[in-house]
This record gives sequence, structure tokens and C-alpha cells, in this order.
Amino acid sequence: MTSSLSITSQSLAEQSIAMLSLAGRLDANTVSQLERALTDAQLAGHRAIVIDLGELIYISSSGLRVLLTGRGNARKRGADVLLCNLQPAVREILEMVGFSAIFPIFESREQAVAAALATSDREN
Amino acid sequence: MDIREASLTIPAQLDQIQRASSVARKLAEQIGFAESDLNQIELAVYEACANIVQHAYAHQTDGHVHISARAEPGRRIVITLMDTGTTFDPQTIPAYDPQQVTGGDGQVSGLGLFLIQRMMDEVRFEFRVPSSDPSQPGCFNRLTLIKNL
Repeated sequence: MTSSLSITSQSLAEQSIAMLSLAGRLDANTVSQLERALTDAQLAGHRAIVIDLGELIYISSSGLRVLLTGRGNARKRGADVLLCNLQPAVREILEMVGFSAIFPIFESREQAVAAALATSDREN
Repeated sequence: MDIREASLTIPAQLDQIQRASSVARKLAEQIGFAESDLNQIELAVYEACANIVQHAYAHQTDGHVHISARAEPGRRIVITLMDTGTTFDPQTIPAYDPQQVTGGDGQVSGLGLFLIQRMMDEVRFEFRVPSSDPSQPGCFNRLTLIKNL
């Protein structure tokens, strides 16, 4: 048995936002996929990265670390990382480790995109 | 008491440890743990195995982790993980504090251990335990995880 993760990447709002949709398990075995996707999104110059966790059923400490590192790297480039669509089990973990106080978290991807655009507009 | 047990030995590889956490989850499910508890048990065992693979066997490629789980209906599940890797002192691991994490540079330590301790009711480390199995002499490390129903 091996864990699996799929990541779908999209560019929105004239390339200003990267949307990463995660499905499956984000753990020590799959976390390098998200590292690559986050690096690619940052190199592409997006102002915000929205991570849709709607189909993510499991997250381990490795996954949490990569989210945190991804946010730190994005902010060094003046970008932000926003999360949306959390499953209850994943939300429980994020709240337990204090990430809900660090990451902007939204109920839907539409809300996350609107917030990313509003932030981007304020900074332009 | 209708005690149920399961055990499994896996190679110390990251792509194997989901097998161990699944065994513990399935056994816990059989004695009626709620879904949120099952998620916590699965994650605690996953984190514990990942720590063993990444730290105890950091310099060893042929290590194994033995997992045994004992479910006591109406009472609790006791999960034991054994390895023969490098020992460590849990007291030396910087404590993860969710109130202090800022995410500035993305560096955190002690997160796995924090999750294990939050998910389980009892966590006990024992190191260099002498083997009582004549076919496998030497010492092993033992981590015991207990969650009450």
C-alpha cells in the first residue's frame, strides 16, 4: 500500500493567482509533489497561491511543514498562500497546530480568490 | 474480554508506513472508536513510524519497524512500535508550541511529536530494552501509544 496525492494547477486572474487543487494524502511520501508545485507557482511570479484542500483527506506533519515553508518562501517574494475548502479532519489538524491563525482560510475557492484579488489590488 | 490483536513488520521506508497506520486504524474501528478518533490514531502511528524511519534509521537502509496493536473492547487500544535504530532523548526535542509558530521562515521542530502527544492519551518511550526472544537477541526501542475509548 502506498499513499497517493494528485495536484492540479491552474492560473487565474491573468496569471496573478495560482490555484493548486490537492486530492488524496499529503504525507512524508507525497510531500515532494507539493514542494515542486509551490516552487513552480512561485517561479511563475504569481501574486497569490490558493490551495484548494477540498479533496485532501489526510495531512501529516511533513505536509504541514511544506505548507509553512511554502508560505514563508512566497512571502519573501511578496506573495501570499491562502487555503480553502478544508475537510473537517484536515481543519482539525490545522487548528490543533495553530496554522488557522497563520494562514488565511476560506470556505470556498471563490472566497479565497476574491480575497487574493482584493489583497493584490490594495498592493498595486 | 474479547481482546483483538494485530501485528505487522514493515521495512523502514516512508512508502511502507501507511500500512502500519492502517492496521492500527482498522483494529480501533472494530472496537467502536469514533471517526475523529480513528483519524487521530492513524496519524499518531504514521508520525511515530515516520520519526523512526527518518531519525532512528537515518543512517541505516535495512531497518524494520514492528507494530503490534491490542484492542480492548469498551476500554482502549494499545499500540506498540519497536525498532533497533538510533536512540534519542525525547526531552531534547524542542517542544512545538502552536501559539508561537509564525511561519516566517517555515522552520518548525517537534511537530510530529506534538501531534503524537495530542492524538493519544498516553505516550511512552523506552530505549535499549533487552530482547526476550532468543531468536532475536540484542536490544530494541519501544514506543507505546494508548488511546482510551
